[in-house]
Amino acid sequence: MPSSSIAADGSPLGDLLRQLRSWSLVALPILFFLIFFAGPLLYLFVVSLLEPSQTELYGTNVTLQNYAKVLGDEFYLRIIQRTLLVGALVTGIALLIAYPVAMAIARMTPRWRIIAMIALMFPLMLSNVVRAYGWIAVLGRQGVVNTVLTQAEIIDAPLALLYSIEAVVLGLMTILLPYMIISIANSLTGLDRSYAEAAQSLGAGPLRTFIHVTWPLSSPGVAAGMQLVFFLTLSAYVTIALLGGPRFSLLVSMVYRSAMAFQWTFSAALAFVLLGVALGVGALIMLVLRPGRVQGRG
Amino acid sequence: MIRLGHILQNTIAGIAFLLILGPTIVVVLVSFSSAETFTFPPPGLSLRWFVEFFQADNMTSAFLFSMRVGATSAVCATVLATLAARFVVRQRGVTSGLLQSLFTAPLVFPAIILGLALLLFYRTINFGGPGGLILAHVLIGMPYAFRLVLASLQSFNQTLEEAAQSLGAGPFRTFFLVTLPIIWPGVLSGGLFAFIVSFGELNVALFLTGPGYNTLPIEIFGYLQFPGRQLIIAAASTLQVAMIIVLALTIERLVGLARIGKS
Repeated sequence: MPSSSIAADGSPLGDLLRQLRSWSLVALPILFFLIFFAGPLLYLFVVSLLEPSQTELYGTNVTLQNYAKVLGDEFYLRIIQRTLLVGALVTGIALLIAYPVAMAIARMTPRWRIIAMIALMFPLMLSNVVRAYGWIAVLGRQGVVNTVLTQAEIIDAPLALLYSIEAVVLGLMTILLPYMIISIANSLTGLDRSYAEAAQSLGAGPLRTFIHVTWPLSSPGVAAGMQLVFFLTLSAYVTIALLGGPRFSLLVSMVYRSAMAFQWTFSAALAFVLLGVALGVGALIMLVLRPGRVQGRG
Repeated sequence: MIRLGHILQNTIAGIAFLLILGPTIVVVLVSFSSAETFTFPPPGLSLRWFVEFFQADNMTSAFLFSMRVGATSAVCATVLATLAARFVVRQRGVTSGLLQSLFTAPLVFPAIILGLALLLFYRTINFGGPGGLILAHVLIGMPYAFRLVLASLQSFNQTLEEAAQSLGAGPFRTFFLVTLPIIWPGVLSGGLFAFIVSFGELNVALFLTGPGYNTLPIEIFGYLQFPGRQLIIAAASTLQVAMIIVLALTIERLVGLARIGKS
């Protein structure tokens, strides 16, 4: 606890002064966050509830028409559907791959574990545009896959691998995979081995031990990893545009395009639909995995 | 049975690392190609695409602009993060929890929404340009700096500050002569991390850059949308890889990268 001995006379006035002084220093970051984070988001929400205007940024009348336009239009509903599909595929496949990898990392000696963690952190520091370009280099018409297949005379003409939902899912999944692995590996490494040993000494096989002991205990890491990967998938406009091509659209593409067309109220509504999708799926993940039951004990 | 499981896990791990790192390795290899267009494997080695990169005005100015934005926003983010972390580390319970979630919120919040919100906000108050982007990157980089500074403050022995103050040092002298010399690896790593995040950031920059002030990732994105001299992008990517390796090794020396992954 802080107790600078100068003002530690215990008087209420001294206490109050000390409180004020410490708050005055944190006021700057708090103010910054209110003005440039909370404020603009609140403002965007208000704008999503206003009618569009031809001459101004937005009209004056309060309306739900922007949301009605998104949620009442078959076109946008299909885009929401496709967004959910891509998000589920990316998150699900990443989980399937990440869990065994995390188990392998948790078994490593501390020295190797650090090396593996650095190898996972490093690609996360690179710009996603560079990593997406990597997939263009692999999947493109003159890319690695087509070159190898042509030279092995398996195919005559290059395959069109890019600009497909598969390319988007593969690209996003591998770009975001390190987050999932790191998140699960952290909760598995922190795990007390004696739980699993106790289960096995009571006669549980490896599978039952996994289902009833290891998996529930790792659920905080799994939930955090899944949420992070899903949220980042929702925002990944550049990766989606580069690997999906100009005609492949998810919610985020519509947010960006409508903003570039100066449809402010509409893009604001789309942004909050996207946020709603994020919060809804985030809550669903928590509901299914129930990480709360082991929090603080993992 | 268990051995078989371990072999399976290790195989999947090998495939996973190949999928994660492979494409970037291909890009780095191809950037040294002597060919006119993308060919794999490269027919010969040369540095011509690096030369082309430094001769392309839009690329070099985007590169320099990214450096400027990254450095400025990293310094601001670190100062704000240190102020915030110094306060939070002394709080308990609800205040601490609330402020921690506030200062780390941009980490999980969909950045595309933040970009749109800031663009609209700037338009309304008639603000923008490079300054607007830098402020946005301060916001994006601050959670990383905050966590690193907070972690080093948490392992810092608070009684040292009390000792300094009881000897008559004011709060500023205490901080600069006692606290900072001990926690500086955390502060510097926080700054470097904020720089790295700003340098590669796309979702907010997408909205807040413009003609004459494009960051390198946005410039690369523009290039990639049209087919053509893509090998210059490979050179740009390799430069970025090299820079990140140097910065990452520095952070590893200072505080340990694996520890950052834990938070």
